[in-house]
Amino acid sequence: MTSAVAAEARGSWFQEKILLGMRPGEYLRSLLTPFNGVAAFICMVGVPLLLYRFYAGLGATTNLSQTQPWGVWIGFDMMTGIALAAGGFTIGAAVEIFGLEEYHAIERPAILTGFLGYLMAVVGLIADLGKPWNMVQIFAQNGTRSVLFEVAWCVVCYTLVLSLEFAVPFFEWLGLRRLYQPLRKILLALTVLSVMFSSMHQSALGSLFIIAPGKLHPLWWSPWIFAFFFITAVIAGISMVIVESSISHRIFASQLRGHHVDADALTIGLGKAGAVVLFAYFFLKLQGVIDNHAWGYIGQGFLGKWWLVEMLGFVLLPSLLYAWGARHRRADVVRVAGVIAVLGIILNRVNVSMVAWDYENPDHYLPSWMELWVSLTLVTIGVLAFRWIVLRMPVLREPADLAAEH
Amino acid sequence: MTGHEFLSTYPAKLLEYTLGVGYLLLFIPFWRYVRGGQAVRVAATARRAVRAAGATATSWFTVPDGVLLHPGHTWARPAGDGLVEVGLDDFAARLLGPVERMGLPPPGSAVAQGSPALLARDGDKLVPLVSPVDGTVAEVNPAVEREGAWQEEPYGAGWLFKVRPTRLPSNARQLFSGAAARRWLEQAGESLAARAAPRLGAVLQDGGAPVPGIARELSPERWDELCREYFRS
Repeated sequence: MTSAVAAEARGSWFQEKILLGMRPGEYLRSLLTPFNGVAAFICMVGVPLLLYRFYAGLGATTNLSQTQPWGVWIGFDMMTGIALAAGGFTIGAAVEIFGLEEYHAIERPAILTGFLGYLMAVVGLIADLGKPWNMVQIFAQNGTRSVLFEVAWCVVCYTLVLSLEFAVPFFEWLGLRRLYQPLRKILLALTVLSVMFSSMHQSALGSLFIIAPGKLHPLWWSPWIFAFFFITAVIAGISMVIVESSISHRIFASQLRGHHVDADALTIGLGKAGAVVLFAYFFLKLQGVIDNHAWGYIGQGFLGKWWLVEMLGFVLLPSLLYAWGARHRRADVVRVAGVIAVLGIILNRVNVSMVAWDYENPDHYLPSWMELWVSLTLVTIGVLAFRWIVLRMPVLREPADLAAEH
Repeated sequence: MTGHEFLSTYPAKLLEYTLGVGYLLLFIPFWRYVRGGQAVRVAATARRAVRAAGATATSWFTVPDGVLLHPGHTWARPAGDGLVEVGLDDFAARLLGPVERMGLPPPGSAVAQGSPALLARDGDKLVPLVSPVDGTVAEVNPAVEREGAWQEEPYGAGWLFKVRPTRLPSNARQLFSGAAARRWLEQAGESLAARAAPRLGAVLQDGGAPVPGIARELSPERWDELCREYFRS
């Protein structure tokens, strides 16, 4: 009798927390949507491909070579994924450290985006490195003169901090007050750590290229490339939060019921910040080009023109659009600028690590379909995980105990 | 290409400094542009607020120019189409505070200066308010049904009804305008403060204006009597 009651209680807990209050049959039927169909197809091909890479090796699955050892998994998954995950520390710092309390409503989704972005980047990195069991070696080494050493430590420490930050809504969801109360109290300390680790990590990814002035095209290479990586990470953080919050507010509108957030005002405020950072970045990049004596490359050949496309179309244009949208209080224009800026960051990372990399080598790298498919799979898993978590945990909506206090 | 032969050191330095100075010079208008929208809006809001407050922004209760005030704390303002707008003044709005219903005279009915024309109802408490002019009711403000219009903008969107006046010139001689209206509101405020001193010290001494619904704060049981005393009804 007691066990039957316990079983029923367990069943209802599972139904409430995991199946969103639906019966198993209902829940499975609710999953039959075109989006889920496409996502399932991508994952059904992608996950075996990922396993195949560990079985057959890089040579069988990728177009990497001795002259081009870094491909999409580093250039897109790692470099871009990490930059786009910068919203976590950008908004965390704005709310917890600079006291911009009005952005509190978008802090959790930003942290969640950061956490999932990092997890997916780490999976991409492991796919590139292979032999995950050997990775612990790096912690046994004293490689303090290596940039990769810094990158490895930062990625581990920051993922740990992000998982602790994410543990707050996770434990709130499970109702484990004893676990989330102390974490909420140390959130400020976690934010300080996250700003430190992620700014070191973002810039260290740029530092990887300092040793390659001959290999990276002079318009992109600069001894200050680590600073450019950090500044573009801030731009990516701001822009991703704009894009991600406008999408989630539309898709997860039911989560926001009774929760008065002026999403447009927040978007415009972020747009103002984006305009200024992009504007400054545009001039710093020009300064970098002059400093590198590479002025004459501008407009020369494909890469010279491509650089202009990146700088004018994906740095200056979003900066001016952000400015116009912020001045005229047009949240829709700010959102368009956000999308362009995000594309610009992706373009920048892909340019640095692939297009303008090893530019004089006639045998230029092009990723294989399997590499692209694995990257697509990781992005899809990230999106699915985001949705799964937002629908269940207090990420967009307020946690029950705080909502009751208001 | 060896890469770095395009620019020798001195022109490069010149370009760097020019770019640095150019950036700083451009950043000023850029920043003003980005922030500008907000500054313009704030200034416009402030200007509107000052206009609405007339010259009495320093006192608690405001009355704009062009409004004729009745000692019973209702006002009249010629609307330009031969009609006269009627409403409650700032003092009445705040003394009364939010009420369940503001009863308006039906269009076509006659109102007389100093006679009750409006009826504020809250629970079993009734507070009549007098008409500032004589005439026939031509129109009532539909926005009054929306709660708070006469509370928030007693001299603007919160007007209550329009009257076709029968003897406006002689009515107007009984009403306060301009500086006299402001003095009248100040006196009413002082009288209220004297009455309120034991209860409302904190509100008054901190320099803040009295809260809406002040009559209820002062006399929770008999606030309607207090209102009738000030509204002369």
